Amino acid sequence: MSSPAAKSAPAQARNGALLDVDGVFKHFGGIQAVNGATFGIAPGSITALIGPNGAGKTTLFNVVTGFYKGDRGAVTFDGNSIFRHAPYEIAQRGMVRTFQITKSLAAMPVIDNMMLAAPDQPGERFMNLIVRPGAVRSRESEVREQSMELLEVFNLTQLANAYAGTLSGGQRKLLELARALMARPKLLLLDEPMAGINPTLGKRLLEHMQRLRKEQGVTFLFIEHDMEVVMNHSDRVVVMAEGAVIAEGEPHEVRGDQRVIDAYLGETQEDSTT
Amino acid sequence: MSVDPTSVAPLAVTFEALTEPAFWIGVGVIAGIYTLLALGLQVNVGFTGIVNFGQAAFMAVGAYAMAILTVKAEINFWLALPLAVLITIAFGLLVGLPALRLRADYFAIATIAMAEVVRIFAQNARGLTGGNQGISCAEDDPTLCYFNEWREASDWINDNLVFFWSDPEDLFPLLLVVWATAIAATFALTYFTNTPWGRVLRAVREDEDAAMALGKRTLRFKLQSLALSATLGAIGGFFFALNLAAVYPINFEPLVTFFAFSVLILGGLANYKGVAVGAILFWFVLEGTRFIDLPDPPFTETRIAALRLAITGLLLIGLMAFRPQGLFGKKEEMVLGE
Repeated sequence: MSSPAAKSAPAQARNGALLDVDGVFKHFGGIQAVNGATFGIAPGSITALIGPNGAGKTTLFNVVTGFYKGDRGAVTFDGNSIFRHAPYEIAQRGMVRTFQITKSLAAMPVIDNMMLAAPDQPGERFMNLIVRPGAVRSRESEVREQSMELLEVFNLTQLANAYAGTLSGGQRKLLELARALMARPKLLLLDEPMAGINPTLGKRLLEHMQRLRKEQGVTFLFIEHDMEVVMNHSDRVVVMAEGAVIAEGEPHEVRGDQRVIDAYLGETQEDSTT
Repeated sequence: MSVDPTSVAPLAVTFEALTEPAFWIGVGVIAGIYTLLALGLQVNVGFTGIVNFGQAAFMAVGAYAMAILTVKAEINFWLALPLAVLITIAFGLLVGLPALRLRADYFAIATIAMAEVVRIFAQNARGLTGGNQGISCAEDDPTLCYFNEWREASDWINDNLVFFWSDPEDLFPLLLVVWATAIAATFALTYFTNTPWGRVLRAVREDEDAAMALGKRTLRFKLQSLALSATLGAIGGFFFALNLAAVYPINFEPLVTFFAFSVLILGGLANYKGVAVGAILFWFVLEGTRFIDLPDPPFTETRIAALRLAITGLLLIGLMAFRPQGLFGKKEEMVLGE
């Protein structure tokens, strides 16, 4: 492997980036899972993160969101360093993620899944339950209303009182996305949001992403293997291989990049035959 | 054990004692205490997903702190109670801070070890705890006992009860106070569970990573959950100490925690009102089987004691087979995994 710095695409439009990842490293034992990854995400953009299996995409997600402690490097979000900060703190700052394997809170009703995600609920502090019950109640009814509105958007209204664990795989993906939106994110990190969803639901989800970006200015970074989705629905593409960013640019630029074809696009055809 | 001439059958059960109020009051006090202990476990296991096997330690710390503060530091009993609760909470946080970073099963092992450390410390720190002799009254002043103030209060309650009951049992006031506390705790916990705070606890139980990804500082909630069960454990410890009029290390063996877990499983996970029912049922069976009268050879007293536990165990196994969710648990919540 040549030096990661040489492999990394030059930092582009990093000034004013909402998320800036700079030379991040993470290893597990002898495996260098993330090897100096560097890229930036402009506010209001939809960026796809692609790369072959084992390229370090999910590990990078985990480092950026604080679930793994990175070895070294820098991650800046909205002007503040968040490298090696706690996951809850990063989420509170407005970077919310979903997981590759959906984490629905199975033995909780759908509506509770939604209401849990709302920020600024004074009732999550034990003392406030005793000293400020009024404030807790009024925020709770606000949150319930917002939850129902979002469930409506995702066609889940009928299931509001069902246990999340009884939902189908695709519905759980939608619930996880709706729940992440309840947290009022500035940046949403989605780990393979389309996997396991039927094409109609997938299309709805993509439409929502576009609309949320337009109406609320939400920025998206998503890991995706479906190249059609990547090409048609993202503004920018970041390509990872062997832990480093090997290319970055608009979809059509990336598609023609020889390094990307060698590392990933060529390989996907191979993958489909095995 | 003398054999009653009227009971010649090999397996005879005399139910006389079952009609005595003293028996029922005794069972009621124990059941009430275990309701409090198991409510604490319910907060941890049923609603936060942290498997606490150290409830006996919280009882021990609460009971010893109360007794030591009253008898050795000569602090007023009523003031010693809240102080002992605070000490137990501090102890719980001290243990929880490192141990809650462990995975669920390792946390369980750490808590059971912690409970044994407390008990063995109490056995050996004779200057502080009286060792195996325990604490009842001050050695240099036999009139200075931790339960004096309680006795006065208890007598006052019984003095007022004579209008309704000519000769109230000695333990009756304790029964009233234990159950008033247990019922109040049941209602309070039910209320707290249905708040946004309780919702975060349940989210931690379901998937701690998901809760963190939504901006919840999960360690804080787990520590609060532990502090609540420490409080309930300490209160249970006070009542235990008042019931026996002495605090011995042997009262805080791991068996106490296991009994409380049996109560929890019997009543059903993630349900507070089942806890009291489970406790009454469990102690009714365990104490009720005391009256199984079997011919002395081969059934010695120790063998009968073992047999009672075996019967209780079989009943629990039967329950698990036919109603795994317990009496009040929700089956659908048990089977909803990822």
